Amino acid sequence: MSFFSKSPWIFHYDASSCNGCDIEVLACLTPFYDLERFGIVNTGNPKHADILLITGSVNERNIEIVQNLYRQMPDPKVVVAVGACACSGGIFARAYNIQGGVDKVVPVDVYVPGCAARPESIIDGVVQGIAALEQKRKKTA
Amino acid sequence: MKKTIIPFGPQHPVLPEPLVLDLILDDEKVIDAVPTIGYIHRGLEMMVERVEYTEMGFVVERICGICSFMHGMGYAVSLESIMNVEVPERAKWLRLIWAEISRVQSHLLWLGLGADAFGFENLFMHCWRMREEVLDIFEKTTGGRIIHSVNRIGGVKRDVSDSELAAILARLQELAKAFEETARIFASDPSIAHRLGGVGVLSAADALETAAVGPMARASGIRTDTRLYGANLYDQIEFEPVVETAGDCLARAVVRMREIPQSIDIVRQAIEKMPKGEGLPLENKPRGNPVGETFTRLEQPRGEVLYYVKANGTKYLERFRARTPTFANIPAMIKLVKGCDLADVPNIILTIDPCISCTER
Amino acid sequence: MDREPFLARVEGYHKGGWRLALINAASVLTADEAEQGAVDVTWAFARDAEFEHIRERIMPGDEVPSISPSFSAAFLYENEMRELFGLNVTGINVDLQGQLYKTSQKVPFSPSAIRARLEANAAAGIASATMPVAGAPAHGAAKPAAIAPAAAPAPAASKPGAAE
Ligand code: SF4
Repeated sequence: MSFFSKSPWIFHYDASSCNGCDIEVLACLTPFYDLERFGIVNTGNPKHADILLITGSVNERNIEIVQNLYRQMPDPKVVVAVGACACSGGIFARAYNIQGGVDKVVPVDVYVPGCAARPESIIDGVVQGIAALEQKRKKTA
Repeated sequence: MKKTIIPFGPQHPVLPEPLVLDLILDDEKVIDAVPTIGYIHRGLEMMVERVEYTEMGFVVERICGICSFMHGMGYAVSLESIMNVEVPERAKWLRLIWAEISRVQSHLLWLGLGADAFGFENLFMHCWRMREEVLDIFEKTTGGRIIHSVNRIGGVKRDVSDSELAAILARLQELAKAFEETARIFASDPSIAHRLGGVGVLSAADALETAAVGPMARASGIRTDTRLYGANLYDQIEFEPVVETAGDCLARAVVRMREIPQSIDIVRQAIEKMPKGEGLPLENKPRGNPVGETFTRLEQPRGEVLYYVKANGTKYLERFRARTPTFANIPAMIKLVKGCDLADVPNIILTIDPCISCTER
Repeated sequence: MDREPFLARVEGYHKGGWRLALINAASVLTADEAEQGAVDVTWAFARDAEFEHIRERIMPGDEVPSISPSFSAAFLYENEMRELFGLNVTGINVDLQGQLYKTSQKVPFSPSAIRARLEANAAAGIASATMPVAGAPAHGAAKPAAIAPAAAPAPAASKPGAAE
């Protein structure tokens, strides 16, 4: 993939992560890793976002929130699950309050493994998410 | 004037984590705040039912990705005290060094987030760039950037050679020099003083009443620090807890800023005092299953953490409980939010350095 | 538990300048019929290096008086005990009406919930802790429980609670 036709905006939500993956997502946005060089902007508003980055698995209380945020995003949209927790429940899969990975509630396009996910793999995941977004855009166009 | 209720969170730009406060407003003044947590509640403490005590440490580390090392250490220290395991000296020193480095990491992280919240994006970037240095040290020595898994019950998993330690110290001292400039901006910038000074004042009496811990209490003039009590080799370290008296948001920021060079100095003392050499013992493996109960207190970057462990002689613990510093600081935070302006709420919440995943476990 | 002497003791800590360090509940897992459903509650106080606690065994139906008249910061712990353990804590200054956590299981830390989960695990062959069996020596009965705050220098800093 050599260039993108659009600059995607990402929106990050912490479902029930341990913070580990969260701060790695934030670290990706700082100069050292600089996710922003792809034209990416981190936004706090789901209605502005193309890519939803979710860390952590879903529990009873945040199921609704995750669904809500997903619903509020405009089409086409892509979900990137960051970290073992978001992919499958990870180390907390055995905890009573955890329902499992994010894909239990919203469709996930890219899974980023790792506990904690490394910034390199998060960046890779986002770039793959951009590719998925382009494809979706072509389909709907 | 009619009362308005504004929900703060769960998704809020200044908070990387979901926390909900229902703010009850009278015009622009907050008159009450009702917390709701549970967005990150995983029920981690109850995992002792299904996870054997030897492996539970890895779960405990994931209470929070910021103080991950200290959580792992607290769990190990608790079980060592129940099982009467003597930890080799070098392992103890290594733990202390890692613990202080995580304090530097955590405070830099907080300073960055704080700066971002009051509108200094480049300061945020600077702090996080410095933090990368610290994460690099962690990655070199433990193999993980934020989840380290180096603590074992009875010691630590790997050694750090003496030459490596010297290099780490040099790197940290360079960081301390670079940090001076940042600290100078914090201390002298008029807009920071305007934004934080005199906002959210917690008096010493209130700090005691609300059971505040850590930098929160120290910024209100209370000389409290679990490290002073000497456990985990801190009795061999010379240091004086950073205490500020103003009790406002600025004082809380200053306490954390002054603790960064202090922690680096503690690392220096530790490297000087620890036994040198290759191949020193690092781990005394415990035998059998634990029986008994214990409370453990440690000083985390956010304040005193308490662990309660109850073991009944089987592979599975009967009860594990972590009372994290943020949990103890929430009553103080609510007290501060009452009576402040709506526009100051984000800053006040941020200056307690909230760690929600710690609080809800 | 004896309400008045307990509250008086708590107030004593308050007057002495102690800080509320922790209120912790732990379900009692035992095969003993008389102890079914009991929860041990520990109130711990700290004053610098000193660390003391009071412990009471709460039987089903017992009331737990809130200590918020003495320590206003107790409300988080007390709401938590009520939601996770199902204890009947009365007189909390900030009553969160069961909205603090929202868990998928009701009162997940209570003795009955733990028993139900452990028995379900055993039936499904999932590796987990087990409930103690009547007749067999109780878990951990061999040694009396030693309580020492691991981070405080002198073990003398902890006095065992009165009503054990
Ligand atoms: S994957 Fe690991 S580091 Fe990431 S949120 Fe889960 S437990 Fe934390």
